[in-house]
Amino acid sequence: MGVAFVGVRHHSPACARLVRATIERLRPAYVLVEGPADFGSRLGELLLGHEPPVAIFSYYRDAERVHASWSPFCAYSPEWVALHAGRAAGAELRFIDLPAWHPALAERRNRYADAERRYAEVTDRLCREFAVDNTDVLWDHLFEIDADDLPERLGAYFALLRGESGAGPDDTARESYMAEWVRAAEADAGDRPVVVVTGGFHKPALEALAREGGTAWPGVPAPRDGASGGSFLVPYSFRRLDAFTGYQSGMPSPEYYQRLWEGGPDAAAGALTEAVVARLRGRGQVVSTADLIAARTLTEGLTRLRGHRSPARTDLLDGLVSALVTSDLDERLPWTARGVPASASHPAVAEMVAALSGERVGRLHPGTPAPPLVYDAAAELERLGLDRGGRLAVKLTEKRGLERSRALHRLRVLGVPGFDRESGPDTGADLVLEERWWVAPHDAASRMSALVEAGAYGPTLLDAAAAALEERMALAGADMGVLAAVLFDAALCGCAGQSERIAAGIAAGIAGSSDVAALGVALEVVLGLWRHDRVLGTARSPLLGTVIEECAVRLLWLVEGVRGGAAPADLGRLRAVAALRDALLHAAAPLGLDRAAALAVGRRVAADPDAPPDLRGAAFGLARSLGDTGDTARAVRGAASPRVLGDWLAGLFALAREEVLDPAAAVLAVLDELVAAAGEEDFLVALPALRQAFAFFPPRERETIARGLMERRGVRGSARALLRSPADPMAVAEARALEARVDAALAAAGLTGPTGDEES
Amino acid sequence: MTHDDTTDHQRPPAEVRFAGELERLRENDTGPRPPGWALSLTAARRFVVGDEALGVTRKFVGDTSLIDRALVTLATSRGLMLVGEPGTAKSLLSELVAAAVSGTSTLTIQGGAATTEDQIKYSWNYALLVSEGPSTRSLVPAPLLEGMAAGKVVRFEEITRCPLEVQDSLLSPLSDRVLAIPELAGPDAMVFAREGFNVIATANTRDRGVNEMSAALKRRFNFETVFPIADFATELELVEAEAGRLLERSGVGVAPRRDVLEVLVTTFRELRNATTEDGRTMDRLSSVMSTAEAVSVAHAVGVRGWFLRGEAGEAADIVACLAGTAAKDSPDDLTRLRRYLEQQAPRRDGEQWRALHAARHLLPG
Repeated sequence: MGVAFVGVRHHSPACARLVRATIERLRPAYVLVEGPADFGSRLGELLLGHEPPVAIFSYYRDAERVHASWSPFCAYSPEWVALHAGRAAGAELRFIDLPAWHPALAERRNRYADAERRYAEVTDRLCREFAVDNTDVLWDHLFEIDADDLPERLGAYFALLRGESGAGPDDTARESYMAEWVRAAEADAGDRPVVVVTGGFHKPALEALAREGGTAWPGVPAPRDGASGGSFLVPYSFRRLDAFTGYQSGMPSPEYYQRLWEGGPDAAAGALTEAVVARLRGRGQVVSTADLIAARTLTEGLTRLRGHRSPARTDLLDGLVSALVTSDLDERLPWTARGVPASASHPAVAEMVAALSGERVGRLHPGTPAPPLVYDAAAELERLGLDRGGRLAVKLTEKRGLERSRALHRLRVLGVPGFDRESGPDTGADLVLEERWWVAPHDAASRMSALVEAGAYGPTLLDAAAAALEERMALAGADMGVLAAVLFDAALCGCAGQSERIAAGIAAGIAGSSDVAALGVALEVVLGLWRHDRVLGTARSPLLGTVIEECAVRLLWLVEGVRGGAAPADLGRLRAVAALRDALLHAAAPLGLDRAAALAVGRRVAADPDAPPDLRGAAFGLARSLGDTGDTARAVRGAASPRVLGDWLAGLFALAREEVLDPAAAVLAVLDELVAAAGEEDFLVALPALRQAFAFFPPRERETIARGLMERRGVRGSARALLRSPADPMAVAEARALEARVDAALAAAGLTGPTGDEES
Repeated sequence: MTHDDTTDHQRPPAEVRFAGELERLRENDTGPRPPGWALSLTAARRFVVGDEALGVTRKFVGDTSLIDRALVTLATSRGLMLVGEPGTAKSLLSELVAAAVSGTSTLTIQGGAATTEDQIKYSWNYALLVSEGPSTRSLVPAPLLEGMAAGKVVRFEEITRCPLEVQDSLLSPLSDRVLAIPELAGPDAMVFAREGFNVIATANTRDRGVNEMSAALKRRFNFETVFPIADFATELELVEAEAGRLLERSGVGVAPRRDVLEVLVTTFRELRNATTEDGRTMDRLSSVMSTAEAVSVAHAVGVRGWFLRGEAGEAADIVACLAGTAAKDSPDDLTRLRRYLEQQAPRRDGEQWRALHAARHLLPG
């Protein structure tokens, strides 16, 4: 009877229908499906009667690499349909692809991804030819809407893709393995047919490979000794399915295709228009009947213009956007390109995308074996004596205490209920070495369901927590506050060295952040953790190193862009420059920070008349601490205007207060000279800022300054007494200002001459 | 708006420049035509996005779906509003679409602070008006009246630069599809729009934005935002081709260097998007960094290189020429540009990036 190859696009309803029809027609002896062969013996688990979307989660760990990937299935996945239709037809079912841990799949996080680089050139050309925006639109245009002669069209399409783009060694390895299964099944089936469901890209090669070679059943490759790994079923969601981006992504808008699968294009268009309108009205946006008529008309027009029998996904979206958006857009429409939609998308556009993406969450049949995380968590809790519940104190300085703390934090990060921390360190900078926890004693049921759900993140608490943090970080964007919290959680969970993706994500967030003060705080904390923290084990962690490097580069960029005239010193900003200096002084060599570039920025900002005075002072200080030899006394004179001086000095003192204490720099002399020469009014203007600037000195250093001043002036006495004035200096200043005004008023009225008591 | 096409100083309208293509499309046009249209929707679309088989060139490098939505909009009762940054070829698109739909793109109102209703609707030949009184003979129709009477597409360029009350003179022509001429009596006093009439307006998001439009008028338009070219390779190709043509006409004997153009186009794209390719955000320049500007800088770079040194121009010339483009509107832009060259350029690999960084002192000021 031979072998019927069905080349599909993963997650395509049209292909799923074709698969179902083929299997029902042929009633084959074997249905072979592209899927992890090591799960083959447990295919029954997939057929228990789950509510899709569900996924096979596969993980692998050896000395060199850690790999986690998903094989997601929705109701309309051709693979899912093949398994169910095959079972109904009484066929033997087999997964025939290499296991997820195999090096041939090392680059993949989503087995059923499809927008692939290797044939981008061909698909780009087809898109131009058919005048559509991208491959998703092309696919809908060619296959999803008009189902006539689908097998022929699919065959031609995939032959073109395969014919013009080379398969890599990874593909070759997978295909020769899959072909072994095909040959064995064909030989075994005798005169009964075999149906093979694989990605269309592989079909032409498989057809050729299946013709010759041995017919023995292939073995399932085993991971090498010392490696751990496995596969298990986890519930999945449309949101996660749609969140794969770039070359890991499958078909977008799962909710749309779910509807398409269930009721065809017209029903899908109707239901989703309704959903979009409901969402928009729910957000208080006006969607009038006239708008709906316009949307319907436009969709109809686009459908006809593009030669579709019924509206396709983008006909619907394009019609809605034309009718509902009455302003200019800041971002390109997300469906015209593949990638992550920018967060600033127009609200109507965001709701459209969200409605088509959907919120469906899969549910596993209760009889499904629990994911390994459940067992790992139970074992960890028992090992660490945390399974009894109650209130407990954990000492971070002890090895067992740290282990307990990490386990508890991992559970907290995974959202498992019943683990609450009541006190403990809040940032990397404080010196709290003990945590207090409340572990709810009898909460097994809700804990169990949370752990089953969290099982999709990884097989152990450590892996799962790292993956959950990764996800949180991806959602944070450039929000430094959230990123810093994720980072600190990573340190608490002991995941800091776990994941390069956390580092990469945080680095990307920092690169997009524009908040100087928040970056400064983050840098300060992270630098502290990186340099000193042996409690949490983060000293010299490469993750934190990356964060430091990114923060430093970003701060340099931002600092140079701050503009503004005289304004009160911004302490957050100064703290950030100080943190930057510390990073450059203490971490430049191991992290490869560019001190020369930083020095150049310092010099430029210090000399920039448009930069605010505090930042100029700070930049001058930064340059000095990086080895610049600019003349401080001269620079102080340069900033001598009364509205600027205090703020400028605040900047300098925040960064390099030793300059004043250094007798050789003669800064004190210049300051004394400037203050003495200032007129009464100028002095009063400058006073508050000057006081703030000198507040950067601790009392002992203030005393040194006072002594220096007295020596300069030839006055004897206690320097300390000079610092302890009986009245609040600000009150004195205010009194003097008032007095001056009274005197001026009296003089204006001709009641008295100007007073002469100027000595102080 | 600037046009990329400068092959001829006396620039003929699209329907003349592409007369051959329009003719071929018309001959091969089998699709149903909306009433009053010169071409079917599919043929009009092929005129803009190109059709190799018929020898129709691709004239607009942007999303095809934008063209689809624009054409379908014109076939309905709403007007089409093209909005976007300057230099995104909105006017070119409006011209092409008008030429495809109506066969003429010259019924154009140029919006400006001094635009009056006369220039939109109609005015009078005063000599005739005085001697004969108001009549169809003394009436001088403006583009809107002409378009309504003949069933053609009327283009309204830079609509938001007109005063609000002038913009609102479009309200009844767009909703009731009728224009009243109260000076005339009898049937001539009302001009009803024929099938095929519609309005394509363009507005610039940099000038005053569309916020300056009344809600009533906004409702009568479908908005289409035209974006700068999304794809690096496409933009590079376009800049290379256009700059090459300009250079040839300026008597420059060599083609621009590919690596220099890559640096130039990357710089323009990053400054335009205020984001570097690796996702670092920067300050947005207040100057427009459009593809058209990139072409003119590439042209200037080539001219400098050839006439000063006898070669194709290098990264240092980009710096010298950029100042005039990027710092057109405000001195702050010059500072932003300097900061870009100081801090972002050295993070790149490549000989030309190093040269660009090294030449940063060539920025004036």
